[in-house]
Amino acid sequence: MDERRRRFEALALPHMDAAYNLARWLSRSPSDADDIVQDAMLRAFRAFDGFRGGDIKAWLLTIVRNCWRSSGAAERRRGHTELDEDLASEAGGPEDAADTASRRRRLNAALALLPEDFREALVLREMEDMSYREITEITGAPIGTVMSRLARARALLRERIGNEL
Amino acid sequence: MSCNETLRTQSWLDGELDDAAAVEAERHVETCAQCQAVVADAALVGDAMRGMTRHRAPAHLRTRIGAALDRERRPMRGFWAGAASGGGITALAAGFALFLFLPPTAATLTQSVVDAHGRALTTGKTIMVASSSHHTVKPWLAAHVAISPPVTDFANEGFPLVGGRADEVAGSRAAVAVYARGRHQIDLFTWPDRGAKLPQDGMTRGFRSTFWKQGDLDYAVVSDIDAASFAKFVTLARAQRE
Repeated sequence: MDERRRRFEALALPHMDAAYNLARWLSRSPSDADDIVQDAMLRAFRAFDGFRGGDIKAWLLTIVRNCWRSSGAAERRRGHTELDEDLASEAGGPEDAADTASRRRRLNAALALLPEDFREALVLREMEDMSYREITEITGAPIGTVMSRLARARALLRERIGNEL
Repeated sequence: MSCNETLRTQSWLDGELDDAAAVEAERHVETCAQCQAVVADAALVGDAMRGMTRHRAPAHLRTRIGAALDRERRPMRGFWAGAASGGGITALAAGFALFLFLPPTAATLTQSVVDAHGRALTTGKTIMVASSSHHTVKPWLAAHVAISPPVTDFANEGFPLVGGRADEVAGSRAAVAVYARGRHQIDLFTWPDRGAKLPQDGMTRGFRSTFWKQGDLDYAVVSDIDAASFAKFVTLARAQRE
């Protein structure tokens, strides 16, 4: 394997789960998430010579988001509120107590049904631990917008999960 | 009455403020009911999101991407292209497979302990032996994980020992001593050192983690408690002796 490929894999592969998680929550579809992540990894590999250090995770997530926004799937699914067909079935492992699994299912559904901008902000902040600056880079939104989106997203999610906890 | 500082309060919660601004924000929250509600809601949302699925890239996708990257090789010219094509692809595939089976990297170790901590919290199986006595927890761990780390009750310092469990860190059996701090939980992981490079301190999905080696064991602490308490606990844990 050549040096460039080795370097790319060493830096990028550890963030494949993060890339997939974002793609999955944006698209709410396992098959679309597969396509988006594959497309993103290829684009990242081709653009890798232009990557000058810095935060590779944020860089990859930016590419994932761009791939999602420019995919036909984004258009097809916009405004469509059906749930990810797998959210329910893969929610809990067999060792999960039934109530844990169903709680997880209800929580997943609450996030899946948030508007895309809100869902994206929460996934980046809460699941991927991205800073405001990184969310700004990834989404292209100004920092004030990132902050107010997060606030509104939290308020809305809080309202929807109600007494779930 | 509507407060203009709710976004600053949120920035404070998200760790976005410098020390001076954080002190101000914290003071403000003490007297502002609206910001107290922001704090409570953010905590609830954080808990809720830890209970949601963080999807992991499926194995078939990793394989597909490896194969797609193979096809991305820069084109070779003439005779050598034909001669090398078959062997080249095999070598590339082997290289890709090798990479996946290397010993845990620093990033996967962090992932692994945070996953183990999160899994325990979400399944409610945080404690397999409940006891505040190291005389109970230590032998239980020795019997169930075949690892016998030092176990101390730090109740006087504000971190009561609440029990232990058997877990797994990057494919290796691990002993976990479980401590409480208010409603939060602290996991102290121990597993046999295999020479892996340990990760730096960090924050992953809202959980702080730190690692160190001592003797022939690797240690990690994972929790979502605040930075100061976390540092205090780590100091206590690292000073333990057999």
